Amino acid sequence: MSLVNYATREITCKIVYYGPGRSGKTTNLHYIYGQVPDDRKGKMVSLATQTDRTLFFDFLPLDLGMISGFTTKFQLYTVPGQVYYQTTRKLVLQGADGVVFVADSQSRQLDENVESFQDLHANLADQGVEARSVPLVIQYNKQDLPPELILSTNELSDALNFRGVPEFSADALHGPGVFETLKSISELVLKRLAGNGATR
Amino acid sequence: MNIAAVEAWVEAPLRRFVDDARARLALLLHPSGQVMAQAGFTREVDVMTACALAAASHATAGELGRRVDGKPFRGLHYAGPDKQLYMAAIETTRGAYVCLTVFDSASSLGLVRIYFDDLQRELSAAAPASEPVAAPALAVDFEADLNRNLAALFGREEPSVTKRPGGVPLS
Repeated sequence: MSLVNYATREITCKIVYYGPGRSGKTTNLHYIYGQVPDDRKGKMVSLATQTDRTLFFDFLPLDLGMISGFTTKFQLYTVPGQVYYQTTRKLVLQGADGVVFVADSQSRQLDENVESFQDLHANLADQGVEARSVPLVIQYNKQDLPPELILSTNELSDALNFRGVPEFSADALHGPGVFETLKSISELVLKRLAGNGATR
Repeated sequence: MNIAAVEAWVEAPLRRFVDDARARLALLLHPSGQVMAQAGFTREVDVMTACALAAASHATAGELGRRVDGKPFRGLHYAGPDKQLYMAAIETTRGAYVCLTVFDSASSLGLVRIYFDDLQRELSAAAPASEPVAAPALAVDFEADLNRNLAALFGREEPSVTKRPGGVPLS
């Protein structure tokens, strides 16, 4: 649920990074946090286990600046990817304006990617949200790994992107693809907020 | 006390509540974590982070309640050495909200709860009937604004489309 404050002309949107465990959701946020100037970001909050796996969520508030006369703020969340955190995933997903699905490109993770993608759709449906109505971008992370360990972006696309949403290859640890992914989901969310492209 | 509200009807009831309950901070938020109003927050306490954590805590308490008691817990109280917090849901005709109240030795849990009930009544009475909210009209070239701001965020020139691999639009 995006929040539009007409009095102060502020827009606040919630974007959730979803995907299987260890696919690189938190790494995406860490990279963004490391790149953004201090005056354009809030403190990054990570509710993690002792082994640094996400327990509940990571949270990063970003100030995108002025867009069409509105001060635009994004709240980036990650969900815990491990299967047994199903309940917390559902809670974090509540009210999401857009979703970035971070897939792990490693061949051996294909089943986990597919399962997590199905889990995303099931959780949206549980909340009465038509999955196709939610802006979605898919990121194929870890494309920097040796080719023998990973699936090509075409193979991943065939397995996951039956909706034909924007998709990006990425190496979230070092940055390629992180910016493009965020830019794409930002555009989709704002377009939807404006009423499916109803602009002036 | 400094109060800021996204919708004006929230402001007066919240102001009365913090004054009467002698609260140090108060936060009214949507259960998804979006702030509706805040009272008493300064730059040291980030409102958005407080909202995200409060929403998570409220959702967790609700889910725990459903699992152990068959229905969500309605209120939550934490006590620290100097400060305490009380958090509970508020139902209005505009939907459900969560109110987080932080208080210290100038108040008490009992006092906060008494005035919390008043806040619930006053917000319910003040809430305008739910009506469709107009979408913000974004300029035709809003993508140029977005590109410029994102490029500034990442400290780079406005991005050009790159070829795969490495950060590519694949289509």
